[in-house]
Amino acid sequence: MEQKAPSGMRRVRNRGVLGFALLLAILVVLPLFGLSPNAVRLLFVTFVWVTVSIAWNILGGFGGQVSFGFAVFYGLGAYAAALAVNRGLPTIVALLLSAGVAVLASLLIGLPTFRLRGPYFAIATIGVSESVRVLMTNVSMTGGASGYRILETGPFRQLDHFYISLALAVVALAASVEVRRSRFGLALIAIREDEDAASDLGVNPFRTKLLAHALAAALTGAAGGVYAQYAAFIHPQGVFAFSIGVAILLMPIIGGVGTIWGPVVGGVVYGLIHDELVASFPQLHLLIYGSLLILIVLFEPAGLYGLLDRWFRALAGARRIRAAVP
Amino acid sequence: MSATDLLNLLIAALLLAGVYAVMSVGMTIIYGVMKIVNLAHAGFLMLGAYFVYELYTHLGIDPLLGVLLSFPVFFLIGMAVHRILVRRIPISDQPSLTSLLLLFGLWLVLQNLGYLVWGNSDRAILTPRTLDVLEIGPIGFPTVRLVVFGVALAALAGLEFVLHKTWFGRAVRALMQNNDAGRIVGVNVDRTARVAFGVGIAFAGVAGGLLAMLYSFSPDFGGPFLLRAFVIIVLGGLESFAGVAIGSLILALVETFGILALPANYQPAIAFSLLVVALVVLPGGVAGLWNRRRRLA
Amino acid sequence: MQPFLSLDRVSKDFAGLQALKEVSFELERGGIYGLIGPNGAGKTTLLGIIAGSLEPTSGAVIFEGRNLVGAKSFAAVRAGVIRTHQVPKPFRALSVLENVEVGVRFGRRGRSAGDGQDAAEILDWVGIAHLAHTPSAILSVGDQKRLELARALGARPILLLCDEICSGLSEAETACILNLLRKIEKSGTTILYVEHNLRAIMSVSHHVIVMNYGQKLAEGSPQMVQNDPAVIEAYIGGRASTDGRQPRSGFVAES
Repeated sequence: MEQKAPSGMRRVRNRGVLGFALLLAILVVLPLFGLSPNAVRLLFVTFVWVTVSIAWNILGGFGGQVSFGFAVFYGLGAYAAALAVNRGLPTIVALLLSAGVAVLASLLIGLPTFRLRGPYFAIATIGVSESVRVLMTNVSMTGGASGYRILETGPFRQLDHFYISLALAVVALAASVEVRRSRFGLALIAIREDEDAASDLGVNPFRTKLLAHALAAALTGAAGGVYAQYAAFIHPQGVFAFSIGVAILLMPIIGGVGTIWGPVVGGVVYGLIHDELVASFPQLHLLIYGSLLILIVLFEPAGLYGLLDRWFRALAGARRIRAAVP
Repeated sequence: MSATDLLNLLIAALLLAGVYAVMSVGMTIIYGVMKIVNLAHAGFLMLGAYFVYELYTHLGIDPLLGVLLSFPVFFLIGMAVHRILVRRIPISDQPSLTSLLLLFGLWLVLQNLGYLVWGNSDRAILTPRTLDVLEIGPIGFPTVRLVVFGVALAALAGLEFVLHKTWFGRAVRALMQNNDAGRIVGVNVDRTARVAFGVGIAFAGVAGGLLAMLYSFSPDFGGPFLLRAFVIIVLGGLESFAGVAIGSLILALVETFGILALPANYQPAIAFSLLVVALVVLPGGVAGLWNRRRRLA
Repeated sequence: MQPFLSLDRVSKDFAGLQALKEVSFELERGGIYGLIGPNGAGKTTLLGIIAGSLEPTSGAVIFEGRNLVGAKSFAAVRAGVIRTHQVPKPFRALSVLENVEVGVRFGRRGRSAGDGQDAAEILDWVGIAHLAHTPSAILSVGDQKRLELARALGARPILLLCDEICSGLSEAETACILNLLRKIEKSGTTILYVEHNLRAIMSVSHHVIVMNYGQKLAEGSPQMVQNDPAVIEAYIGGRASTDGRQPRSGFVAES
């Protein structure tokens, strides 16, 4: 929606774009200055999480449809890529397949479940997610419960995976920005705010939700594919776990649901600290996420991003006041 | 399959249905009065199990007595949770996602507390009663299942009594039908909601204790039962107590006889798939179908 | 010559409660049609059915030759039938301007912005241009109602369905909205206006349909309808005999 934003806002937005471009440049160049393999792995994982976090936010944040079932897309994407790579297909094709399979799944799932509203939809996605996990655990073609291994076809080039995951995260961010700015994004927000009123003004809620679901699934599936190629071994308890679906939902909500940068913040926080958290305080990570969720739902619906935003605004305001009053 | 086997299975299903009903009734009350989907129900099932377990292993208190004690304890806990957390979310006639997420967060917290205090190994409650079997004719009833079923029936009967014969019960039924109308008629919505929440959690605690007498458990033990509770209340029609009974029976039957048809690995998927099918095909649940037919006649 | 809007024995029953019983009437293009009736007469239900928000149990709603029944409300929008809501339903996270944008971009022939007025122009026309960037969540009731109108106008209605757009407003605000309705009608949009405020409706409609207990009771010019004894009885309830009060020749004005 092209709104005539005040010129001050435009300046801020331009500065934001510049800042982001700078950050991106740094990330691209960083590994060449020598990062430990562990640091590269950490960043890789973070980029994957940021991607799925942004993806979930398109349906859940902009559209207000809370799905607990995104592990289905992540897992299917992982398996699709793994199967493709083992048949000699190149990476990009494998990722396209990951996305494609996920999109198909999203349609199959969305057609019956998007008739449901709010919590009912959420609960249905729990049921779907767990059903798929049980199913995949029992399908022998993909190794069943013992998992599936990608065959080695050369040396492990960690930086390749780093750049692929970074590229995917950028694509996801670009998609998110474009959706938010577009007519499609307006429809999603209208549906989130009041689905009936949206329909009364000409929005087709069912079709819009299906499309958003498909886009989110495609990105999530690709992320799963990227992960599978890195990990080289995947199993249903890992990629289809309910805890993955929960994590995918927690990141954007804790980061700031419904915003552009909130999911990024959530993904970064989760990516950087999750492994550390599980290592250092193995018994506390659920407690921390649960408490954060409660606090955010009750006090700061705009999540960590909203919190940061408020602080910066308060600081900027204080600075302006101090400048005005010498 | 012989007639005796069939009868055995049917009775096993019936006994199971009783426990399932107690397990689901707590969610129904909370959903009906406040349109809140209580995902933390799973956490309280778990706490109920450990409560009875601890009383038994450390104080030698018979699990049945433990279950009895858990009602008032969890009632108070429920009211406290409502006052501290849930009360901050406005009640409406529409189910809200905010409360869903809030209680989901609470579930995560409770699970973690469970892991912290009890670790993740399985526990079980073993009493002399556990392996006892009562033989009536050709059929053997595991005593513990009979006892659990008996307690479940008693609890449900108690609830029926409260719902139809007390002030609180009438207020609950009024709010379940129409929040605003209830307000207008003078029902103290906030207080009724708090008590209803307490009762809902109390039933969760009791159910947890009962389930602990039948199955082994660990801190994530609530999850599969939570899903079953959803299936039941959706099948039964989200806000109807009779529906809970019907839903429990259907699920128990499908699960018990499902073992014959499906390999064990696919068992967990039964509840999940039934849930999705129920949500999509029967939005009003069995009770909805019944009501529609009855009113149009 | 097919009628502009034709309702053919529309009935609606909500699990045992019969809200509408075989309601039929026809509208011609142009003008403001009033739809009145005591509380519970089924007016909002009927409006919902014409707009596509509800499905009737039986009957047809033929608009410009097409039966709208069975299609959801967004399909009705494409045909040019747009409604406002009795209780305003703003998109709370969006500003006033963005709310209207939804109407503009998804309404009838919504793709090209060059068609018809754009959102800012509509806000100006309706009189809330000064609120363009205000979050819609904090508007006063009167402004929310005007936003409902603005949003609906954004969708370029051929037939505008107004649901109690004056309820809860002061005299001055009501007069303002009524003038707006006249302006809208003059610009070529037919209006079907449901209202409980009799004085308001009588002053603005050229043809009035009266409903009671889910059925059409009477229809005609405001003059005719006001003096129809059946209509008077429906509103006053025939209590004139018991407490000695005589029904006035106009209606008891209800606000």
